[in-house]
Amino acid sequence: MAIPFPFSAIVAQDEMKLAIQIVAVDPKVGGVLALGDRGTGKSTAVRALADLLPPIQVVKGCRYGCDPSSSAATCPDCERLKSGKKVATETKPVPVVDLPLGATEDRVVGALDLEQALSQGVKAFSPGLLAQANRGFLYIDEVNLLEDHLVDLLIDVAASGENVVEREGLSVRHPARFVLVGSGNPEEGELRPQLLDRFGLSVEVRTPQDLDQRVLVIKRRDAFERDPEAFRYSYAADNEALRKHILKARKALDKVVAGDDLLRTCAQLCQKLGTDGLRAELTLMRASRAYAALQGSKTVKTEHLRVIAPLALRHRLRRNPLDDTGSGTRVQRALEEVLGS
Amino acid sequence: MNLAWDDALWAAAALSVDPAGLRGVWLRCPHGPVRDAWLATLNQLHPQARRLPNHADAERLLGGLDLSATLQTGRAVHQAGLLQQASPTVLLLPMAERLPDDTAAILGQVLDQGMVGSAPTCIGLAALDEALDDEPPLAGGLQERLGIWLDLRQLGRADGADEDSQMMLAALPLQDMQAMRQHVQQVQANDAQMQALCQTAMALGVDSLRAPIAALRLACVLSGLRGFDNVQDEDLGRAARLVLTPRATRVPPPPEQPEQEPAPPEPQPEPETPPENDAADETPEPPEPPEDPQALSPQQMADILLEAALATLPADVLKQLGEASKPPTAGRGQGRSGDRRISLSRGTPLPPRPGNPRQGARLHILATLNAAVPRQKLRQTTHSRTRVAVRMEDVHIHRFAEHSPTCLIFAIDASGSAALHRLAEAKGAVELLLAKSYARRDQVCVIGFRGTTAEVLLPPSKSLVRAKRSLSGLPGGGGTPLATAIQSCLQVALAEKRLGHSPSLVMLCDGRPNVGLQGQGGRAQALEDALTLAGLWRGHGLPAIWLDTSARPEPQAQQLAQAMGARYVPLPLANSQRMAQAIQTASRHTELVSRHTEPASRHTEPFRAKVPTSA
Repeated sequence: MAIPFPFSAIVAQDEMKLAIQIVAVDPKVGGVLALGDRGTGKSTAVRALADLLPPIQVVKGCRYGCDPSSSAATCPDCERLKSGKKVATETKPVPVVDLPLGATEDRVVGALDLEQALSQGVKAFSPGLLAQANRGFLYIDEVNLLEDHLVDLLIDVAASGENVVEREGLSVRHPARFVLVGSGNPEEGELRPQLLDRFGLSVEVRTPQDLDQRVLVIKRRDAFERDPEAFRYSYAADNEALRKHILKARKALDKVVAGDDLLRTCAQLCQKLGTDGLRAELTLMRASRAYAALQGSKTVKTEHLRVIAPLALRHRLRRNPLDDTGSGTRVQRALEEVLGS
Repeated sequence: MNLAWDDALWAAAALSVDPAGLRGVWLRCPHGPVRDAWLATLNQLHPQARRLPNHADAERLLGGLDLSATLQTGRAVHQAGLLQQASPTVLLLPMAERLPDDTAAILGQVLDQGMVGSAPTCIGLAALDEALDDEPPLAGGLQERLGIWLDLRQLGRADGADEDSQMMLAALPLQDMQAMRQHVQQVQANDAQMQALCQTAMALGVDSLRAPIAALRLACVLSGLRGFDNVQDEDLGRAARLVLTPRATRVPPPPEQPEQEPAPPEPQPEPETPPENDAADETPEPPEPPEDPQALSPQQMADILLEAALATLPADVLKQLGEASKPPTAGRGQGRSGDRRISLSRGTPLPPRPGNPRQGARLHILATLNAAVPRQKLRQTTHSRTRVAVRMEDVHIHRFAEHSPTCLIFAIDASGSAALHRLAEAKGAVELLLAKSYARRDQVCVIGFRGTTAEVLLPPSKSLVRAKRSLSGLPGGGGTPLATAIQSCLQVALAEKRLGHSPSLVMLCDGRPNVGLQGQGGRAQALEDALTLAGLWRGHGLPAIWLDTSARPEPQAQQLAQAMGARYVPLPLANSQRMAQAIQTASRHTELVSRHTEPASRHTEPFRAKVPTSA
């Protein structure tokens, strides 16, 4: 792996950082969609994500990175590996897998293992990017330019958490639970609503307009490129603190209560904005809870909701071609009406 | 020596020293002596430069299994990808404007991470872009990542004179490239210089943070090349010219002059207007490096840097800026993927994919055999050894990229003012055009507007008869609700776009709106509403042509057309034949119809010959 830019060294981009932390606390929130111009640090923030997460325990030798604690064997490798008395485990960093735009279906889903087929004449499955991303994150840069057949595939797998391969005479199914992280420039193409819906939160990323912040960005980047390891070392303490904070929030998450009043407000908000389906409410509630946990609060309060609502709802609004106010403003307006301030 | 050429040579030198740090050069220049001279320079400095064919597939770029060797030897043989270069290497990318999106995506990812798979790589790209003015250039994502942007299209043959480059190259201490690379890594910039770079970038409206980062790196390399340990202000200026100036999206406001007189060395009073990019013009020297750089405040340094950056802004910069700030059109480069469609029967070929050769798809024999070959050993148990065993899963089909079908939306002004003069002519013109678009299998939609409403007379359809009938039934008279008309056009266009069609608009109007969006009268409000909606249309990047049907060219119509991003065609005195012709000629220049005349020229050649060509 290339050495990623340390997360705590990223300047500004508060909304983006918040969204990533929320997803790190509760992956069930769904993915993050980062929209903005090029060169705003979207990819850097996503690739630094692995910093935030504690390493995971996996079954040793399992190419799908399965969890050793679950008793059922869900993947072909574990059927073999878990049959013994004792399951060998190892620790791995949380995978953050890059899905390039031009990727072929073979690479994404997995295909016949050519190497084994050619040299040994054995029919074996070689797992693809979806298997690599299991229990981790799948990052798609320029997600709005992704080819249709890949989009279809992702929509299906992201919803079911399982990758079913029925091709080339292979019949394999394996778990593929991942958090989708996408980035792109909305001016270059639109996303299908179905795929949009798979992302839990969306953030709008802009370049900092403050001179000092910009100088800080290029200074840190310069230092990083000169000596990545030393630079990472200087931020190791900050990263560690952040990781602990997230771990703490994760533990507290189950105890955070969302009252009925709050749920009612969530529903009202979604009704006001006319979002389709119930996923909006669910995501809004989950994300607010994760945010409350991050803030060290035991209950979800309206101020948490106020912060999270734009992130969770912005991309779910029905497009109105004649209203060119940003969707963020529309959410803001609805918030004011519902919360009455 | 021409400043631009001088900069170009320094760019080549810097690239050869630190390809991975700078990520590369986007060289916009047609094939010719100037480009040859630049490439020769690069080659001389960096003989390891390799060409990267732009049809190379992912496997070849990133490495993978070498099929033929594996088959021959019976064990897995891996081949290294072209992008896998352990030592610093410049890869030349010819015809970069034709680079497929997926290859561009792979290149961008490798440049970002400096890794191919799990192996570090050290490459920079020299993207040779030959796109003409109206052609889409190199893919945006890759443009952004390449540090240096060079535009040598304005340079003449004489500028690439050989002695210049020889002299400069001889002066560079490049005998020991290894030592130079190490030295360059040590060069430092001070805080004021970094701040000046950021300030310049902001003044020029460069939003991306990759630009100042690349400029800083380039300044370090340039100073290192000249043997300094610290970044020199002269190199900072050059870096700004090579990285920031070409990305400029606005001309910075002239600095408020007198207030604080800059005390340090009398700065050369630069002409306020950007200098002509003429050979005859004495190119201004980059600002003198001040005697004591520490004495300059960051603000002063930024001013000097900005002046240096502006030195190479061409004279027609405003025009270019206008182009740059245009919203992305639906064409290539920006979201072009929406514009093409996968087809099984016609268009430009795409890589074959596994599939069923029935349902209108054609069998791709070569790809099918290719897929079958590696599995022969597996299948030998069930098939006789002499034949190639091909199974259903090997079968590949042809795929093509086809331009999406066009939908022409005609918006016809049937208000009183237009009805008096030109409604009949306009109707005639539309009928002629309908016949032509019918031959091209385009869809057409007719929207008429008068009084307070705009009515979709004919929803998108291919039926010529219905279109004609709806036209002849169009009555005239009433006000001009232009805003409402653009609104309905936009609704239709967006609906069409969602269906995967490419909508474009032909607006026949005299540009004198007098009914607003709410149906109320009043010219001022009506114009304002119309301009707002025109801006909205433009924001969606949809193509349009505005045919001014007033008796003499109307400035207001021109203004509206501009707000829409439409091509403006005045039709002072015309009959319907001439009107139809005007649309055709106009559309040949715009993307609007060139997109669909292209396939048409192939399929309907005989038809076009029959079209009467009236003078």
